[in-house]
Amino acid sequence: MTDPDLLVIGGGPAGIAAAVRAADAGASVMLVEMRPALGGAFHRRPIEGVEPWPIGREGERRWARLDEGLVRTGIVPRLRTAFLGLDGAGAALLEDRVAGRVEACHPRAIILATGALESVRPRPGWHRPGVVTAGGLQVMMKETGRIPEGRILLAGSGPLLIALAGQLTARGRPPVAVVEAADPFTEMVAGLGLLAHPRHLAEAAVHLGRLALARVPWRRATVLEAITPKGDAFEVRLRDRRGRRTTLEVDHVALHDGIRPNDHGLPAANETPGAGPIVVSAGDGREVLGVVAAEIDGERAADRALALIDGRPEATRDHLRRLARERHAQAVLARVFAPARPLDPLETLPDDTVLCRCEGRTVGDLKVLFTGADTPAGREIKLTGRFAMGLCQGRFCAHWVAEASARLGPDAPAPRPRDLTGDRWPARPVPIAALAAVPDAPKR
Amino acid sequence: MTASTFLFRGAAVPFRPGETIAAALTAAGLRTFGLDPAGRETRYFCGIGACQACLVRVDGVLVEACLTPARADGRVEPAEDRHDRS
Amino acid sequence: MVIVGAGIVGVSTAYFLKRAGVSVRLVEARAPAAAATGAADGAVSVASKRPGPMMATATAGIRLYRELTAEGVLDGLFFTRSTFLVAVDDAEAEVLATHAAALAASGVSVERLTNERLRALAPSLSADVRAAAEVREEGHAIGYEIVRRLIARAGLAVERGVRVDALVADPRTGRVTGLDTGAGRIEAEAVVIAAGGGSADLLGLSGVLRARRGQLLVTERAPALNAGLPGAIMSARYLLSKASAPGAAPAASARGYGLVIDPLRTGQFLVGGTRENDAARPDTDAEAVAHILRDALRLVPGLASVRLLRTFAGLRTAVVDGLPLVGAVPGRAGLHVATGFEGDGICLGPLMGRSIARLLLGEDPGVDLAPFDPARFREGRAAA
Ligand SMILES: Cc1cc2nc3c(=O)[nH]c(=O)nc-3n(C[C@H](O)[C@H](O)[C@H](O)COP(=O)(O)OP(=O)(O)OC[C@H]3O[C@@H](n4cnc5c(N)ncnc54)[C@H](O)[C@@H]3O)c2cc1C
Ligand SMILES: Cc1cc2nc3c(=O)[nH]c(=O)nc-3n(C[C@H](O)[C@H](O)[C@H](O)COP(=O)(O)OP(=O)(O)OC[C@H]3O[C@@H](n4cnc5c(N)ncnc54)[C@H](O)[C@@H]3O)c2cc1C
Ligand code: FES
Repeated sequence: MTDPDLLVIGGGPAGIAAAVRAADAGASVMLVEMRPALGGAFHRRPIEGVEPWPIGREGERRWARLDEGLVRTGIVPRLRTAFLGLDGAGAALLEDRVAGRVEACHPRAIILATGALESVRPRPGWHRPGVVTAGGLQVMMKETGRIPEGRILLAGSGPLLIALAGQLTARGRPPVAVVEAADPFTEMVAGLGLLAHPRHLAEAAVHLGRLALARVPWRRATVLEAITPKGDAFEVRLRDRRGRRTTLEVDHVALHDGIRPNDHGLPAANETPGAGPIVVSAGDGREVLGVVAAEIDGERAADRALALIDGRPEATRDHLRRLARERHAQAVLARVFAPARPLDPLETLPDDTVLCRCEGRTVGDLKVLFTGADTPAGREIKLTGRFAMGLCQGRFCAHWVAEASARLGPDAPAPRPRDLTGDRWPARPVPIAALAAVPDAPKR
Repeated sequence: MTASTFLFRGAAVPFRPGETIAAALTAAGLRTFGLDPAGRETRYFCGIGACQACLVRVDGVLVEACLTPARADGRVEPAEDRHDRS
Repeated sequence: MVIVGAGIVGVSTAYFLKRAGVSVRLVEARAPAAAATGAADGAVSVASKRPGPMMATATAGIRLYRELTAEGVLDGLFFTRSTFLVAVDDAEAEVLATHAAALAASGVSVERLTNERLRALAPSLSADVRAAAEVREEGHAIGYEIVRRLIARAGLAVERGVRVDALVADPRTGRVTGLDTGAGRIEAEAVVIAAGGGSADLLGLSGVLRARRGQLLVTERAPALNAGLPGAIMSARYLLSKASAPGAAPAASARGYGLVIDPLRTGQFLVGGTRENDAARPDTDAEAVAHILRDALRLVPGLASVRLLRTFAGLRTAVVDGLPLVGAVPGRAGLHVATGFEGDGICLGPLMGRSIARLLLGEDPGVDLAPFDPARFREGRAAA
């Protein structure tokens, strides 16, 4: 393997745009993607023989342009290749899952374009089989065209729930209900801000129109409190804005409480030449700004990386202006989807509520750490409580454990999620046989 | 539609070319793919290789069912560790 | 009394003082177990100790773990198990034989195993292993868990985030009267420096203390494979790497590769490691990790199908002559030190904490501390 000038991690719009931009500028580029296909969260590709998921004409045009860029520049992405992080010696570690081998690579610069991760707030029963993330359900639909049999409930908060509900409805499988903690209609003033962003407004209108036609209840200012197995189905308990509780019986629950950068275990940005490879992040992995911004940000990041390694000029001003516009749209959406009432603090959940699924650690287990004279710091919570110690390395619990710990130990500095997750490679579990393939350095 | 299958717990599971193991197992009506080595029920959850909840064993090694393409005549086992070292 | 450093040594010292009714302050630059104590394997073991004071002290260290466990203090945290010394070639077999004899001579329960016996006891081991000895009545304890338990048991409130910048001493007598910290001056009648790698700066001992990095790996759970290893597996090569004099590059390699495979109670494995001189940062690199894994696969081939979950590294604080520094600091009334335990501080920590506490209380420490007397570096210190 020859070391490229630029290693791009992630084959979504940000990564593809960055790779194409850099190749167009004459840099040698390696683009790696962990999945069997490019696309990322939005442009996810269907398997052979399945119709692409409708993403609107504008979306299709954008994908065609990215695809055309790859063809033009001759970049052949390395699929099923996962980035494991940067080691202490500055080597970028790539796990080639086809060959079953880890390679140490020494690019001059790295662009991290690993996209976003969904947040799922713990509630009793969230860890049960049959409960998925909304994004997980969407992945299945986009790749296979299939929707699981039975009654589906979407719950949590954020525009993705509406989008997914609209898509399910368009396929003739409307969800039982959409449970939304915010009350977007009362946030009229904030909502007016969306008038400046017709793309988002139009998208929302399409989905909401579909839901209204199919009479799918959109239960706003309502939270899903608990999920209890009932035979092969679930009984879910909802609490509305007036505190009234109702139950529903459903077969599948899809949860979603927003998205955040998927930066887990990844190296920090490095813009200092000479101090190891340059590291620039791009797209939703840097800041969650959505699909249009991801492409713009990928180009910006490529310019930045090449400026740092080769002193090439950057065309940032236009990029930054367009990113600012997308940032404004996201800020408006965040206000529209702010919870209607403060959510119950995590430490008030029943003691047996699972916080960390991998290690089976609960709210009660966390509280025990805060009973003595001495308040533990983030890393101690991890080590002695075994939170964020499991296979997902804290991706789904570190934020919540940090949030609850800050409240349980108010006299100590609030732990950061990073204190719990740590930031050492490997960013993902890696087979020992594959890692053992990294050779000793040649004798100097 | 092709009639490719792989074996899960000894039973043939059909899949379409390019489909992940998770997609095929889910289409076969499975909510859990067995226990993981910690004894917890596995499940399809995030779909993007992040949660490690969908682990299955292929050729002895744990893989995320949601990231791994199904292979014709492959053998997939629950992640639970019942390693025989004979 | 003020103790500097909340690693296993400082916390143990505070615990035993508190238990004797003395009020203590425990100041810590970061957080308990933030340095070596939180980055160690937890061998409470005599198997790898050199004959002499270290072997004798380690034996006493294990005994104290047993006592504290029997009293309920370390209940559920300390576990007795054997260490298996194994050799895959002639050179290793020779080291193994010599070392097993030395252990037996100092009263350790050790038995050479036949191949049949070894296969029956440890089915996960490779057929490549050609010689083995079982060292009995060893144990395992995880440093950060011990620290957390002792803090809770003593009802200590650790002063986190307080870095000690300098000692304050009476210019006439040299008696230490306090500490200058990031949070202001602290008055003290007696000070114990248990600051691991931070001790050198406070004591002016930079020529005496060295950092030796160790890289360690943790796997995911593999309970069946784990059950096929009844105790820690220590390659005879580890003894070679450990015996090499600090400061000098070990003969085997500059990395000081040696191998310990520790089956953890969770069903995971902890695998280490390296012994690298003068590494500035506690980080890990793929070259070393892959090397360690290849060695591990040779001993336990079933690890090939297990995934690596985490890597981490710690800096062991070593003394140039290979023995720790424990006791009163000469010419500095009111000042004690306990550091330089290199790769043995989990095993020795509680014992050394109790010894220092007893010295401060004017009691007999109960172990022979003479070989560890800081006075042996008096000359060095004066020069520094
Ligand atoms: C479930 C979900 C639904 C969304 N729906 C919308 C929507 O409808 N509209 C919208 O505007 N935005 C949506 N988004 C936001 C979405 O993140 C962005 O729109 C866009 O996909 C971001 O592009 P990106 O290139 O930054 O990341 P992505 O498109 O997510 O691409 C990142 C890629 O990196 C790969 N990767 C991650 N880690 C590694 C690694 N260690 N090694 C190798 N490869 C790796 C991933 O497999 C992925 O393919 C959604 C996000 C999620 C999570
Ligand atoms: C990879 C590795 C594996 C090991 N394996 C084993 C094993 O299997 N068995 C065994 O017995 N031992 C083992 N050890 C050795 C053992 O971890 C150490 O000997 C032991 O933890 C030392 O404890 P300590 O309290 O002296 O120092 P530390 O744990 O280093 O604690 C010192 C504390 O002092 C604080 N500090 C430093 N400077 C200042 C300052 N100026 N002001 C305030 N606070 C300060 C630090 O933040 C730190 O918390 C291993 C070590 C490593 C690195
Ligand atoms: S479903 Fe989360 S890793 Fe596969």
